[in-house]
Amino acid sequence: MKSIKKIIVLSLISILLLSSLGCQAEPENKVIRMSTTTSVNDSGLMAYLQPAFEKATGYTLEITSAGTGAAIEKGRMGDADILLVHSKSAEEEFIGEGFNEVRIPFMYNFYVIVGPADDPAGVAGSATAAEAFQKIADTGSLFISRGDNSGTNNKEVAIWKSIEFDPAGQTWYESVGQGMGQTLTIADEKQAYTLSDKATFLAHEDSLALLLETADDMKNTYSMIVISADRFPESNVKGAQAFVDWIKTDEARKMIAEFGVAEYGEPLFFNLD
Amino acid sequence: MIELKDILVKTKGRVILDVPSLIFKNGKRYGIIGENGSGKTTLLRVLMGTLQPSQGSIEGLKLNNNVGYLPQSPYAFSFSVIRNVSMTLENLQNRDEVAISALEKVGLGSLIEAKGNNLSGGEKQRLGLARVLAVPKEVLLLDEPTSATDIRGMDLIEALLQQWFEQTRGLLIFTTHAPAQALRLADEIIFLEKGRVVETGTPEILFNNPQKLETQAFLSHWSI
Amino acid sequence: MELINSIFNLLFGSDPELRRIIAVTLQMSFFSTFLSAMIGIPAGVLLGANEFRGKTFISRLVNTMLGLPPVVAGLIVLLLLSRSGPLGSLNLLYTIQAMVIAQVLLITPYITAMTSNLVGVNASVINETLAGIGIRGTKRLKYFLLDFRVPFLTIILAGFGRSIAEVGAVQMVGGNIQFKTRVMTTAIMMQTNMGRFDFAIALGIILLLISFLINSVVNRVQKVAADD
Repeated sequence: MKSIKKIIVLSLISILLLSSLGCQAEPENKVIRMSTTTSVNDSGLMAYLQPAFEKATGYTLEITSAGTGAAIEKGRMGDADILLVHSKSAEEEFIGEGFNEVRIPFMYNFYVIVGPADDPAGVAGSATAAEAFQKIADTGSLFISRGDNSGTNNKEVAIWKSIEFDPAGQTWYESVGQGMGQTLTIADEKQAYTLSDKATFLAHEDSLALLLETADDMKNTYSMIVISADRFPESNVKGAQAFVDWIKTDEARKMIAEFGVAEYGEPLFFNLD
Repeated sequence: MIELKDILVKTKGRVILDVPSLIFKNGKRYGIIGENGSGKTTLLRVLMGTLQPSQGSIEGLKLNNNVGYLPQSPYAFSFSVIRNVSMTLENLQNRDEVAISALEKVGLGSLIEAKGNNLSGGEKQRLGLARVLAVPKEVLLLDEPTSATDIRGMDLIEALLQQWFEQTRGLLIFTTHAPAQALRLADEIIFLEKGRVVETGTPEILFNNPQKLETQAFLSHWSI
Repeated sequence: MELINSIFNLLFGSDPELRRIIAVTLQMSFFSTFLSAMIGIPAGVLLGANEFRGKTFISRLVNTMLGLPPVVAGLIVLLLLSRSGPLGSLNLLYTIQAMVIAQVLLITPYITAMTSNLVGVNASVINETLAGIGIRGTKRLKYFLLDFRVPFLTIILAGFGRSIAEVGAVQMVGGNIQFKTRVMTTAIMMQTNMGRFDFAIALGIILLLISFLINSVVNRVQKVAADD
């Protein structure tokens, strides 16, 4: 029995050694760590693009999602090679700190105001989001805010600012500190208004109605940020760049333009050029 | 008079008590002797109603506050010794006094403030007896009441039981693994073996002229 | 360091939101623990101190419920209380009551099982002793409660600890709504998700301090109870 034990132990050790040797033999890092936001993830876009990217380039994409703040924080901590976010102010702040190479806006879509189908505040038909928010404040209708410093939340805050109204502390204004999907669930349960990105809303199952989508003060731009090797020498700049390059290809642009059409009759994202 | 008829107690298919007929008369003291596992405790439990026999009946025993039962290792609760006794006297105005008096009778007068769970085995047994005797009883069922005490404690308890009997002329049924105790305390002795009553009789008859061989064999182990 | 600063500010500042979070947390935890104890301890005594047909089955059931993951408990309560669910008309979702309900579902089996196991060890001797002095049936409960009062407090304290540390179920059925259902744990998770780790750590330290305080108070009570 002793000899069998010996053989097993030796085999295990050699397997371990061989596999670690195998790792070292790899000259290139094939894993790209991408940090993105919950709205991007909840829309299903990344799950849709990932297989095509991996097949085309041979890289593996490791995607984590969190609120905008935490997603960007991953970049600061060196836990991501590339960020995919949509909050211009937070992004610019991050860039100013010297963590990244460059910020590349590449696609956009629109925020929408959703709420109970019977629309007690009369939001539908408003000319702008600002006007709609004013109606909500005037009628004291229940409004759910993401309250998590995300891109969507920052947009919402900006709209309140534009009508010079501070909803903090109002009983009809509830801040939940969660992602878009969960916020929509709560808004649905309470039959309340909220601001959402269109993609997540369309993908989300609920009984809320899409009440307003306008152009100018509702545009939402998505950017990629490649993390610089200056701060984090081990970060996979090559891999991140490979993703940036791939997004610009015709194949990727076509995929983005087609995403959601079959299911919702309209695209959820638009390519920037 | 208590009468047991056709009592059969089975556990997991094994018969642990088989008593076709047994009678206990009021105003008498009965000592039940036998080896460990002979059914002494089972018999007492059946009398007390804490164990249901598979078949058979008991007549003549009303399980009210006049009947007291002391298990072999009585539980002492985690509050004061005095409360352990006064718990049976809930509605009494002077329950603490009654409790103290009972405790003094069993020699625990110095431990009334102690915690029940901190007592030794012998002390718990005496506490149990004080608790049972705090409310006047007509029937006492005691399972090896001095098994954990030392000689002095045993003398004390035996004297107490004698006193109780003389004052109340009630029914005393006790088990013991020391036949000598039965000799001292009982008017009638019941010898159990393997769950069956082998022989009953006065101490004089059983010790001097036992009818059954098994009785003789059992008693011969004890030189009295 | 910034981290120490934030912790200091949170701990010693008078942030009204923090006070509200602590208040909601304590409200919820006290209620959950209280209800779970009111149900769990008598149930545990009943289970541990008696022999009856189906006792094994019920014991097994209780032990199975012990393994109920908090998120599953949250899901069950969510489905029950949601507008489209059977109890939707009560409008209880995203309230403190909903969080209490979910927690009671989680903590009661725990208290029941611990009580039952504790009591079961000496139950037969206790039952026999009580029967011998004419105490049977429901009258026994009082003495079981008195005898085990100190370890019961420990069990209840453990239940409270579970309540105050729980995050999955309360997030689901409470909704982490600012000023209304945001508790320490969901606040910590939210701050972490937002990348504000210093806030999250400060909240964590406060949570530990509160737990420690409550533990100390109960230990004191236990000492007094033991000397009764």
